[in-house]
Amino acid sequence: MAEERPAKWGLVVDLDRCTGCNACIAACSMENNVPFVGEDEVAYGRALYWIRTQRYWEGEYPAVTPTFQPVMCQQCGNAPCEPVCPVYASVHSEEEQINLAVYNRCVGTRYCANNCPYFARVFNWFDYELPEPMRSYLNPDVTVRRRGVMEKCTFCVQRIVRGRQKARAEGRELRDGEIQPACVQACPAEALVFGDLSDPESRVSQLARSQRRYHLLEELGTLPRVTYLKGVGNHGG
Amino acid sequence: YTQMPEYNQTGESTYYASTCRECPAGCGILVRTREGRALTIEGNPNHPVNRGRLCARGLTAQQGLYNPDRVRGPRFQGRGKPTSPPRDLTWEEAVQVVGSALQKPPERIAFLLGLVPDHLFDLVSELTQALGAPPPLRYGALAALDGRTTLLEATRRLFDTPALPYFDLAQAEVTLAFGADFLQAWLSPVTYTRAYGNMRQGNPRRRGELIVFEPRQSLTAGNADRWVPIAPGSEAHVALALGGRVAELRGLPVPEAFRAVSLEEAARVSGIPAAQLEDLAVTFATAERPLALVGGSALTQPNGLVTAQAVLALNALVNNLGQPGGVFLTPAEATPAPLTAVSDLVRRMQAGEIEVLFIHGVNPLFELPAALGFAAALENVPLVISFAPFPDETALQSDYIFPDHSALESFGYQRSLAGADRPAWSASQPVVVPLYNTRATVDVLLAAAQAIGRALPYRDEVDFIQQKILPLLNAGGFYTAPEILTFWSRWLQYGGWWTPAAGLPAPRSPRLPASFGTLTPPPAPAEGQFYLLTYTNHLGDGSGANRPWLQELPDAMTTVTWNTWVEIHPTTAEHLGLKDDDVVRITTPYGAVEASVYRYPAIRPDTIAIPFGQGHTALGRWAEGRGCNPAQILPAATNPAGDPAFIGTTATLMPTGRRRPLARVESKDGVYGEH
Repeated sequence: MAEERPAKWGLVVDLDRCTGCNACIAACSMENNVPFVGEDEVAYGRALYWIRTQRYWEGEYPAVTPTFQPVMCQQCGNAPCEPVCPVYASVHSEEEQINLAVYNRCVGTRYCANNCPYFARVFNWFDYELPEPMRSYLNPDVTVRRRGVMEKCTFCVQRIVRGRQKARAEGRELRDGEIQPACVQACPAEALVFGDLSDPESRVSQLARSQRRYHLLEELGTLPRVTYLKGVGNHGG
Repeated sequence: YTQMPEYNQTGESTYYASTCRECPAGCGILVRTREGRALTIEGNPNHPVNRGRLCARGLTAQQGLYNPDRVRGPRFQGRGKPTSPPRDLTWEEAVQVVGSALQKPPERIAFLLGLVPDHLFDLVSELTQALGAPPPLRYGALAALDGRTTLLEATRRLFDTPALPYFDLAQAEVTLAFGADFLQAWLSPVTYTRAYGNMRQGNPRRRGELIVFEPRQSLTAGNADRWVPIAPGSEAHVALALGGRVAELRGLPVPEAFRAVSLEEAARVSGIPAAQLEDLAVTFATAERPLALVGGSALTQPNGLVTAQAVLALNALVNNLGQPGGVFLTPAEATPAPLTAVSDLVRRMQAGEIEVLFIHGVNPLFELPAALGFAAALENVPLVISFAPFPDETALQSDYIFPDHSALESFGYQRSLAGADRPAWSASQPVVVPLYNTRATVDVLLAAAQAIGRALPYRDEVDFIQQKILPLLNAGGFYTAPEILTFWSRWLQYGGWWTPAAGLPAPRSPRLPASFGTLTPPPAPAEGQFYLLTYTNHLGDGSGANRPWLQELPDAMTTVTWNTWVEIHPTTAEHLGLKDDDVVRITTPYGAVEASVYRYPAIRPDTIAIPFGQGHTALGRWAEGRGCNPAQILPAATNPAGDPAFIGTTATLMPTGRRRPLARVESKDGVYGEH
């Protein structure tokens, strides 16, 4: 059996490729059993997007242009959401070294969301019932959350676990690019790249060394595992 | 639990390769199933159209399969009249009804089909031919808003082949796009989004540049390096003037057709400064790999056919036909009918010349401009049979609904793949056992034809498909087989058939006519009038409005969910005293609708825009009574190729004094709290 070395999972978002099409949101929601909340709740800011596209307008007409930035949990190495949880529901997983929400511990204080500088955490204000037979499409690999529970992007940890189990069963190491969270797999522009940052040869590591790289709110010292590559304009930038 | 399900995975999933039917692009999908349930939909990595990628519509298709509002069995509908209460039928009765309908005088039978699936169109074509009935018409709002018939007519005139063009965007270095919102709608959004990504960062030579001419910034224009807010209807003028200038700059004799418009005149009509046009002409003419593409709002207007020819000819001027980063033609026959053919059908329905109308895969009461009069004409058809899997507007106004399986329960194929870089057929297969008492429309038609003694030589749907794909057995695909059953198992396993290497026919050098056609200068809107545009976002032609996650998905540009808005330039709104979320009445000569104001900074001040896809009066709990349908206020006018001529329509805006806050995601505070 091949010896396993711990992986350091990371994500690169190439903003020069990203078009802002939101396919990532749809892919994420269907993979992770994320409920839809309806028009009123979206308007109250209670939509349960684990990944969202921040769209800001820049410039004045006619030189006005939107900027798109997909934002999900940044999987901080130094996560502000963790020390504030009174019940240890926001923890680092031992094996993947990413930040996870333990749903059955969560008591809904929402301290973690208040302390997250990226607005990456969303709260189940209600139970969102799916009419029959819609529950048939729920993914059995992912917990269905209920009212009063905080949730957020997990880098599709169920896919990481499955990929690792598969490689282990076949007695080999994981291949670069073998594990893809749902958003990465769907992204039509191939703007998202996922992989092992501890392997300097992996595609994600190479891209994360790009001169265009930056982290969101880098000055907070949260050590995010998500790296953004700046969009390039033809006129400066 | 001590181990969350995420860590405790038992069981293996079964994957089925099939074809997405949420739009006509025909992306390959892999559906992950477990214990007979379809869970998630992923892109098929080998498929030449989407290479493993997928858009939001395809990713949420299981919400169509498991939609609680589906039609669950054959039904006598009675058009909702109280005198004839609806009742459930058996399929034997249904086949009888269809059989006797097919025995009507053949010229009085009409089939109106949607853009998918192709195998049903092929079967109905054979059936109508055998009966001596007129061939089926294929219509869909997506093709109409794309201007596909115009593109086909333009390629027929220039290259002698009516084929959908394939633009090699990934390898282009300077791309001029006229109206084609290829990142969100158009021929094959996933193909072109992938190409866009590679155009930006996948080309080792240089980062591709994108310049978009549109009156309103679409998602594509929002991602462009330069957005040129062109006056609606003046695209042909600009394309002609640019062509003339590009020919001069490249030292070629200026073709006669390009002499029709001078740079100064184009500048005057389009509102783009002449210096900017000159700069764009130089950028294009001197680029290493220039590409010009055209679609959407540049075609659905009176000058659309001129625009299409001028832009395709622009590619010929820079010699990119059949070159990397250039223009190719897709090999499969594309069969959307122009709006004029549909108006002709409506006229015959109105005149009582149609005795039976079969409808599949299209929702004309929603998708067609109301001005066309389909609703009134439908009253004059004695027998209307719908095969819709959902209770949409048209199905509820039919006599019978004989529901087809939903896409994920169906066999079939798509052979017209506008996004494939090679000859390809895409295969569909059921990924789950049908949930309800539905039946494949092909099987219903075959059984009905047999019942009346006009049997076609096919046992059932699968037999029909197998006979249709026989020519592919040894046609140089990436797999071959000695006989059909072996071939069939691979066909299902891989999700279709395609050639191992990329390669599409190049268009021949065009014979440029002396003129591409007469130019209508765009009318200037009168005081208080605005150009009205409609466009498709992720809701597409509106058939996706019953998928709750598509409703919840923020519109890419405005971040609005679950509703319709009207986009107005902020200074125009200020001038009219309108604020965000004010409900306004938008009136054209054809009707009026109401929508909430969204102050949109990236639209011309003389233009307003309403997204297509909402405003359903049927189609289930998530679609009904939500927003407005711009088709209600669009004209039935057509361009010379028969596509709709929407652009140039003007509308007035009237405040209603009411407010209806839009559920926008862009404000984290929530919009309800602010007021």
